[in-house]
Amino acid sequence: MVSRAALAADPDAVARGAYLAAAAGCDTCHTDSERGGRPYAGGRPLATGFGTIPTPNITPDKETGIGRWSNADFSRALRWGIAPDDSHYVPVFPYVFYNRLSDADLADLKAFLDSLAPVSRADLKGAQSTALAERAQAAIAVAATPAPGPWRSDPQQDAVWNRGAYLVASVGRCDDCHTPRNWLGAPDSDRFLAGNKAGPKPTQAPNITPDAETGIGKWSEDDIVGVLTDGHTPDFDFVGGAMAEIVKNTSRLTAEDRRAIAVYLRSVPPQPSPEKR
Amino acid sequence: MQGSLKLLAIGVAFAIGAISPVAGVAQDKAKVFKDREALMKQQGADLGAVKGYLDDKNDQAKAQAGATDLVQTMKKIPDVFPQGTAGGDPEGKYAAKPEIWSNWNGFLAARDAAAQRTDALVTAVKTGDKAQIQTAFAELGKNGCTGCHEKFREELKK
Repeated sequence: MVSRAALAADPDAVARGAYLAAAAGCDTCHTDSERGGRPYAGGRPLATGFGTIPTPNITPDKETGIGRWSNADFSRALRWGIAPDDSHYVPVFPYVFYNRLSDADLADLKAFLDSLAPVSRADLKGAQSTALAERAQAAIAVAATPAPGPWRSDPQQDAVWNRGAYLVASVGRCDDCHTPRNWLGAPDSDRFLAGNKAGPKPTQAPNITPDAETGIGKWSEDDIVGVLTDGHTPDFDFVGGAMAEIVKNTSRLTAEDRRAIAVYLRSVPPQPSPEKR
Repeated sequence: MQGSLKLLAIGVAFAIGAISPVAGVAQDKAKVFKDREALMKQQGADLGAVKGYLDDKNDQAKAQAGATDLVQTMKKIPDVFPQGTAGGDPEGKYAAKPEIWSNWNGFLAARDAAAQRTDALVTAVKTGDKAQIQTAFAELGKNGCTGCHEKFREELKK
């Protein structure tokens, strides 16, 4: 499965990129698993506000994948949601969060994707040319997102906290679903992780701040690690819906990284939900 | 005399038969929701016993009893999802999606995926090796329980 290009690539970069891709779950959307599609070759039908569109092929196929992309193309696509042909992606691709990925992590991700065997998906070409209004809306949302740009560590906090904060903000993108959006469609930073009734459609995302009554304030660090490991909650329910897909990603993290996320989540400001859930 | 009693009995039986489906549907549905929730809670408790062993909160025997019971409760899942029982207790948190019945084979496949991983969990618990149990537990969680909840369960909006 490893292409010739990969032999020239730095194997450590490829391995680090593979870990990030697994953590973000790139394959979850960019694989048409229901119909036995090849990993990362796209084609999974994703429901968006503008109808159902197939996900793009992100294998390094030159014609139908990202084989001709430069590192700059890749960074622009992931950080700003703009394709090399200057078209904007629909926001179901969570570039608002990948905006915070470090340069090094973006380079590693690209090295990993470049190491995959190219898959030709001529059937998908041009499938994304619709949804212009939603793309424009997404561009506004990213422009309105406070403090975009590569993540900066907080020197007041230790390495574990900073690692957790980075994972939550970037590949984990917890606020994609758990933070309510403001009128511009950007996550409302004043209500960070306080739950979102509107998303992910058609369901709602709970408050995951440490508020004792309406959030997860009663959860221990181990409880958070538990749900990220296998999906179980402290009362041995198992998460479903969109979170079940996220657990597939978080279960691939190292135990240390899951712990870091738990440490960080327990440190964010508690936010009571307006009404009890 | 005996003949008329028999007739009366038949008449009563018919009357009950005619009335009960009408009066019984709502009641039956409520009972199904209750049974469904009870079965899921029982499964949660079974898994809690396994996790309790991993976390040194209870002994291996209790974990083994939980895992063994889970094998049985997995078999009962289709029984608590009879046709026409989409939705859930309005007081509760979750509802069964109509997809369960429109994709019954998919639903059974998801149950089978969980059942298979439950068997693996029983095997792991018997060894007493916590690393093995943890792996089997996580496998059941992320590809069994959540696999089914991902596709077939929805949250009731409050």
